[in-house]
Amino acid sequence: MDKELKRRIEEIYKDTEVEFPEANRMVLKTKKENLLPILEFLKREGFRQLKAISCVDWIEEGEFELVYLLSSLNTPLHIMVKVRVGRESPEIETIMKIFENAQVYEREIHELFGVKFRGNPDLSPLFLENWQNLPPFRKDFDTREYVKEKFEQIPFVEEKK
Amino acid sequence: MRELELFFGPQHPGMVGNFSITLKVEGDRILEAIPNPGYLHRGFEKLMELRNWIQNFPMVCRINVIEPDSMEAVYAMAVESLANIEVPERAKYIRTIVLELARLASHLFGAWAYANMLGFDTPAQWAMADRDHILDLFEELTGGRVYHIYILPGGVRRDLPDGFEEKVMHFLHALSQKLPDYNETFFENRIFYERAKNIGKIEKEEAIEWGATGQVLRATGVKYDIRKVEPYLVYDKVEFDIPTREDGDAYSRILVIRDEMLESAKIIMQCIEKMPKGKVYERLPNPFKWKIPKGETYVRVESSRGELGLYMVSNGGNTPYRVHFRTPSFNHGLFILPRLLKGASIADVGNIMISLYVVAPEIDR
Amino acid sequence: MDRKSIVKWIKEPGKMGHKYSLWAVYFCTGCGIIEIPPVITARWDAERFGVIPVATPRQANLFMITGYVSLKTLKAIIRTYEQMPEPKYTVAFGSCPINGGMYWDSYNTIKHIDKYIPIDGWIAGCMPRPEAIFIAVTKLWMMIDKGKADGYIRYRKNYKFYRRNQEKLFGKLPWPPLYPIEEEENG
Repeated sequence: MDKELKRRIEEIYKDTEVEFPEANRMVLKTKKENLLPILEFLKREGFRQLKAISCVDWIEEGEFELVYLLSSLNTPLHIMVKVRVGRESPEIETIMKIFENAQVYEREIHELFGVKFRGNPDLSPLFLENWQNLPPFRKDFDTREYVKEKFEQIPFVEEKK
Repeated sequence: MRELELFFGPQHPGMVGNFSITLKVEGDRILEAIPNPGYLHRGFEKLMELRNWIQNFPMVCRINVIEPDSMEAVYAMAVESLANIEVPERAKYIRTIVLELARLASHLFGAWAYANMLGFDTPAQWAMADRDHILDLFEELTGGRVYHIYILPGGVRRDLPDGFEEKVMHFLHALSQKLPDYNETFFENRIFYERAKNIGKIEKEEAIEWGATGQVLRATGVKYDIRKVEPYLVYDKVEFDIPTREDGDAYSRILVIRDEMLESAKIIMQCIEKMPKGKVYERLPNPFKWKIPKGETYVRVESSRGELGLYMVSNGGNTPYRVHFRTPSFNHGLFILPRLLKGASIADVGNIMISLYVVAPEIDR
Repeated sequence: MDRKSIVKWIKEPGKMGHKYSLWAVYFCTGCGIIEIPPVITARWDAERFGVIPVATPRQANLFMITGYVSLKTLKAIIRTYEQMPEPKYTVAFGSCPINGGMYWDSYNTIKHIDKYIPIDGWIAGCMPRPEAIFIAVTKLWMMIDKGKADGYIRYRKNYKFYRRNQEKLFGKLPWPPLYPIEEEENG
């Protein structure tokens, strides 16, 4: 059944690569433009639950890689759809029309990595308040330098004896 | 009537955990609920990129304070999958016993929180006292009451002490004798039925579309449990059942939890009978020089709240390249909770929030 | 009771009365919240020491900071602490409030909480056992007897410096200062 799925995907959508690295796992690499049609196709096949959206920062290649994790209630197969976005001004369409709960995952990635999702109604920050620096999960943000600058400059309270 | 904005904030007698919700109310009805996470954000996934593979173990168990063993198990399984390490048979049985005991303790904690919120003080005190006996068992096995650091890649840290199996069987026997008391005062109480029936109702199709897992999905009638779909450790060698209910409201969710506690007791007793002898860990190389080959993996485990997953990428170095935890409370607390609170009354906010079993540190990490 | 305690009760009834009934604010700040329900329920009973959890800070005089503190939580802690009536005592649990603990290089946690609010006692451990919490309560009684548990007096005396540290961290604070601050004369 998995080989059958792979054959149909590769037939309809050119320039996608499908692999089976381990038992019950399928990895699909595709281009930005093919993302929404492929996700609709997979949802019609029975993969109705979006488990998470994750993001990896490949700083040497100058790209962000977005990973969409899907699963189904009928088979144990688990699919990871991967898309690459440039690092300079990263932007991509939102997938809220297909999976509603993508809204919270896209809000988290926008705050921590700086990727813009066109069409998402609410991209306000979740965890941090008044944050003016680089988005903190990028590889060029040095957290130990930031701690030294911000927290260790504040002196202890002197005691008047 | 005017519209007011109220804070169900972090310092509140009905809030378990450090989480806050902003409610827009008109009279007694809620128009909109906006959750505010972020009170417990430490930046775990960034800190784990700066430490070794082994130095990350004390960090991983502090993400979910109520059930730390499932976090350790999922991290150990991910490292073993990337580095191709085999776990000995006896270690798999011991890991299963530890995970099921942690599930029992977490369900008893949830029963305390829910009973306390609704005003049933006596079963709340019983649940907390019984959970303390499980923590005593953990202290004898691993040395610590709450944070264990017992499950490592390659097996478990040390073998079971003498007489441990008898103590576990004695505890399970004592718990099963108390169950009629729990049923009479709490689970089958008429007042509890009136307070929890038809509160926070979710339909079956909505639950699937919104990505719910765990008891929230099983209480609507879908039989989906990672232990049966993709068996890990020794779950394919023991016999157990998956309880489901049809209605999808808060009453069904708590009854699913009660039935799951009985199934966990069955699994532990079967594991103790079938456990083989042998060694319990594989030796690992020097942690300062251990490099894991390039690759990526996604492993998943059924924790007491839903599906817990870990997506890990390694770049061939001494430290992980990217670690991402897929926690069940992120979806339930930030996406499903505001949709259930629309149209509810103020007195039911705590009721709905605790019946979804949202744990605040899992949202923020 | 022997003669010494009868004398203490007659001389300072107010201090003995409030020492043996410290009411704690119910605020779950961090990791340490996992050991508070066992402390207040039937097995390790905290009510025999006089400690019960209460709903609002206006009724409480003990504040337990359980575990690490993040930036958003510190704002809530300062507001709660300033609403408590005097005399009030704070106890910090674990090694994270002392010097940052395990999250020493995190961009969102406070490393030394002593710079922002005054602390009377520290408990070591990760998490401290319930017995350690009770030892801390009895040591706090001894400190109150000798007059050394004076965190709230220090806060009132040095309020200018505490407020300056809080403003360095957060920028302009939306609530007014609790005690009046005299302006320094710049020469």
